Amino acid sequence: MPSLSWTSARRIAWREMRSSKGKFAFVILSVAVGVAALTGVRGFSGAFRTELLVRARSIMAADLAARMFAQPTPKEQEGLEAMEREGLHLTTVTEMVAMASAEHSLDPLLVSLKAIDPAVYPFYGAVDLAPKAVLRDVLHDNTIVVAEDLLIRLNLKVGNRVKIGDGLFTIAGVVTNEPDRLSGSFAAGPRVIVTRKGLEDAGLIAEGNRSNERFLFELPARSSDQQVAAWKERLVALLPEAQVTDYRETNPALTQGLDRATGILSLMSLVALVLGAIGVAMAMRAHLQQRMDTIAIMKSLGAGSSQIMRIYLLQTILLGTLGGLLGVTMGTAVQRFLPVLLRRLINVQPPFTLDWRAVGTGLTAGLLTTLLFTLPPLLDIRKVRPILILRRAVEQTDEPIHKAFWARLRSNWAQLLATIVILLGLSLIAATLSDSAQTGRTFAAGLGGVLIALLAAAAILLTVLRRFLRGAGLALPSAIRHGLANLYRPGNPSAALLAAVGLGVMQITTVFLMQQAVVRELRIVSSPKIPNIFLVDIANSEVEGVRKVLTSQPGVVAEPELIPVISSRITNVNGVGAKDLRLTNFPRRMLQSIQLTWSDELPPGTTVLQGEWWKPGTTVAQVAIGQRMSQRLGVTLGSHIVFSAQDKPIDAVVAAIIKSDGQHAYSRAEFILPKAPLQGFPVVWYGGAHVDPKKVGQLERAMFAAYPTVTVIDVAQALETIRQVVLQITVVIQFLSAFSIFAGMVILASSIAGTRYRRIREVVVLKTLGATRSRIATVFSIEFAVLGLVAGFTGVIFATVVARFLQRQMSIEFHLPWITDLAMMAGTAVMAVATGWIASHRVLGQKPLEVLREE
Amino acid sequence: MNEAMIEVSNLTRSIRNGRRTVEILKGIDFNVAHGEFVAIMGSSGSGKSTLLGLLAGLDTPTTGDVKIAGESISYLPEDRLAQVRGKKIGFVFQSYQLIPTLTALENVLLPYELNLGSDGLARAKELLSSVGLGARMDHYPVQLSGGEQQRVAIARAFVLRPPVVLADEPTGNLDSANGTHVLDLLLEMNRTSNTTLVMVTHDPNIAALAGRRILLKDGLIVADERKAVE
Repeated sequence: MPSLSWTSARRIAWREMRSSKGKFAFVILSVAVGVAALTGVRGFSGAFRTELLVRARSIMAADLAARMFAQPTPKEQEGLEAMEREGLHLTTVTEMVAMASAEHSLDPLLVSLKAIDPAVYPFYGAVDLAPKAVLRDVLHDNTIVVAEDLLIRLNLKVGNRVKIGDGLFTIAGVVTNEPDRLSGSFAAGPRVIVTRKGLEDAGLIAEGNRSNERFLFELPARSSDQQVAAWKERLVALLPEAQVTDYRETNPALTQGLDRATGILSLMSLVALVLGAIGVAMAMRAHLQQRMDTIAIMKSLGAGSSQIMRIYLLQTILLGTLGGLLGVTMGTAVQRFLPVLLRRLINVQPPFTLDWRAVGTGLTAGLLTTLLFTLPPLLDIRKVRPILILRRAVEQTDEPIHKAFWARLRSNWAQLLATIVILLGLSLIAATLSDSAQTGRTFAAGLGGVLIALLAAAAILLTVLRRFLRGAGLALPSAIRHGLANLYRPGNPSAALLAAVGLGVMQITTVFLMQQAVVRELRIVSSPKIPNIFLVDIANSEVEGVRKVLTSQPGVVAEPELIPVISSRITNVNGVGAKDLRLTNFPRRMLQSIQLTWSDELPPGTTVLQGEWWKPGTTVAQVAIGQRMSQRLGVTLGSHIVFSAQDKPIDAVVAAIIKSDGQHAYSRAEFILPKAPLQGFPVVWYGGAHVDPKKVGQLERAMFAAYPTVTVIDVAQALETIRQVVLQITVVIQFLSAFSIFAGMVILASSIAGTRYRRIREVVVLKTLGATRSRIATVFSIEFAVLGLVAGFTGVIFATVVARFLQRQMSIEFHLPWITDLAMMAGTAVMAVATGWIASHRVLGQKPLEVLREE
Repeated sequence: MNEAMIEVSNLTRSIRNGRRTVEILKGIDFNVAHGEFVAIMGSSGSGKSTLLGLLAGLDTPTTGDVKIAGESISYLPEDRLAQVRGKKIGFVFQSYQLIPTLTALENVLLPYELNLGSDGLARAKELLSSVGLGARMDHYPVQLSGGEQQRVAIARAFVLRPPVVLADEPTGNLDSANGTHVLDLLLEMNRTSNTTLVMVTHDPNIAALAGRRILLKDGLIVADERKAVE
């Protein structure tokens, strides 16, 4: 069968576009805003995340770390070398406790020694020194850099010499920030950093010395999360006795912040995409409605539906591509200029690189969604009857709603198929964007469900309205009657518009609610009250005194937290002896140094994941165990763990699996028991307090004067880094969600405005019959207000349900956002009326004869 | 009598509007011979345009059948029907129905592109010249007067040499001078192409030019008169 050539189809498509530039600019803009939001959000958040991950890596100074208590075996060494050959960089950090003294003094001081290779350490972050210097320039085999605490305790200054083991070292600087301080061991004594060679020269590396080795690994640049996981898995297999962690596990607050940021940012990307698609679908629908006459003429000249579809398919591709290109340009501009705009709020400046993947994704997603969402209007071409040229009568049935529904379903099987294709396509796009097939499926299924519910709500509303007007019609003022009747007049796309606006409102509200919840949570974990100094080795008799010193210090801004620690070991789990236990990623030797603590109340920053916390005053031996530790030991709720303290067994039942936020003194406690079963054992206390970072030195001096054996570990700088990162995440989430919401509103407004062309005829007739502009505006306002209210109501209800579900998934507490919900409902009605007015402004001003002449 | 080009048997068409069913055509039977010129007359609402739409295969009857050159077209699938329309029927509408984004020449060429795929440029140019628009081929519809637009529509209707041309009030939107010119052209083309012409009109003067007049009233044929052979 002969068919319209692609050249002719292209010519007609192009001419149509040229003849209605304004209208097509609208369609292109809808696609562009969606793609811009997608590219901008994805591009910027990608760059931002990369930058933040570098900071997260600095908390560990590496991508991966393996902590061991023994030198690797030759076989393990061989495996490590093989990994190095594959591009992995490795450096060893040795940490141990040693005695140090001033050159001309015999008073020894316990110090926490750390030996590194300054040529490569740290892989990420930097060791800050005072006076300002670069670590590798000042740290040599005969020099050390030390914590200020050491200078205070030994009454020394930079340039003096210190004796450690057989070596004599010159103090080259004071450590003001050590990037991986939180990842290292919290041993007693001030920090002293020495080179590995210096440590060997001092004769401190000998058989039987209690040192612990941390192997730090730097992965090849731009390793993905999956690659990090794969390397980690290899290391776990290679070093079964080591405790292997990756940079995402170093700080729960940071990990949580990053995970939630990633989650909400990919949600925003998807939402931007669907909103853009809604805009396109509505615009194309309005466009094809106006092409009815042309389509009917072509059919009367012998054109088949497929030939006509070819024209509009080409048009769609052209619009999608143009919109996509414009959107990518706008998105790239957002990515380029957002950091400049946010410079005052965040100090992360992701370097601007054109992310071709984000550009490609944006273009493809734009074109694909345009094609997918124009599929139903394109298929409608088949239903255009050529008789339309001769007779415009619209046939209507008055069958009961269920019969009419099935009849429409039967006649619209292709549309149904198109809907399934759209959902499959969206799920594919969503899976690609979020890197998870599960997310894609859930998103598409949710979208499908909501769409069905919205269409059902639209059908119910229109039926109720019709019945209501039949009953009370003439009693109502005519403007109201006309406005309400407009909603269900033949050919009005009320149901489609209601579904589109409802869906849009739902997505915008979901983003807003999620953003609020995530930001609320992140603000809690980045609170400036969390401990940033830790106190080690407080004797039972010193507890109250230490508390007094802390509270008397002007720099301490929150109530100090003190926790008791009892040294013990694990001898038996569920009847299996320590030497036969199956451990995962946990050195067996560490079973010998288990620290127990007690608390009758749930400690601050700790959440119970499984089981229940005990009642205060209980005497039953039970234990709450950290989630990761429970996995390493292979215990579950109800398991029996036998601890041995001072050779006295404590048989405790696992009552709760807990997770800490990593921000409190109790966060380092993996085994918490009730107070009663631990009474009578020797206790050492540890403490934490939040101190103004500038006043840490003053506190150290006061503590040293009152309690010289108590060590103060300063992690203020490291924690400040984390706090800053988390705060920056919240700012970026807020900004990007505001951007997505704004883009969504522009698209929704354009969907409503797109219906203005079909109003021209109606306005002209009304004007000819003597209706004033204000009367017509009133009629339209009533129509749009009802539409906005119903769409707002349905959308907000679904958004609340979706937000509740997502927040439960993310373990965020849910609060019914009724003020937001009410505001969104009212806002949607106002937006619908305002857009309707703005869009109808030109139509209202049109002279009736201009239109009637065209008839 | 020549063989029948159009055969209409027991044709009815009703539309549902809510609970009401409106019968537009209530049972129409007639044949049109090859080369015949038939005028269909009737007052507004009598069913003229609906009948023309069914003859052209633009709509589906409720019952009954229409045959064009022996082929039943009423219940053909949409794509096959499009082919029949394209190859066997030319159409001239009251409001011209040109594609606004195509030039006069492109409008005339469109049936070629849709139905034959072959190069009809020479034929299209020849037809446009013969309707007096040789100098305005590259003009868009909006740049042409009503009469000129209708002449383009006539050229388009005849471009594929269809055996049947259907016209719906072709002069209805034109002043009398332009109307006469357009009608002369239409009849001239019909004569030279030996086409079967069915024209809906309510102008008795135009109907008088036809060889046969069919009068419709309330969906039924109330008169079917042939002009006496002179």
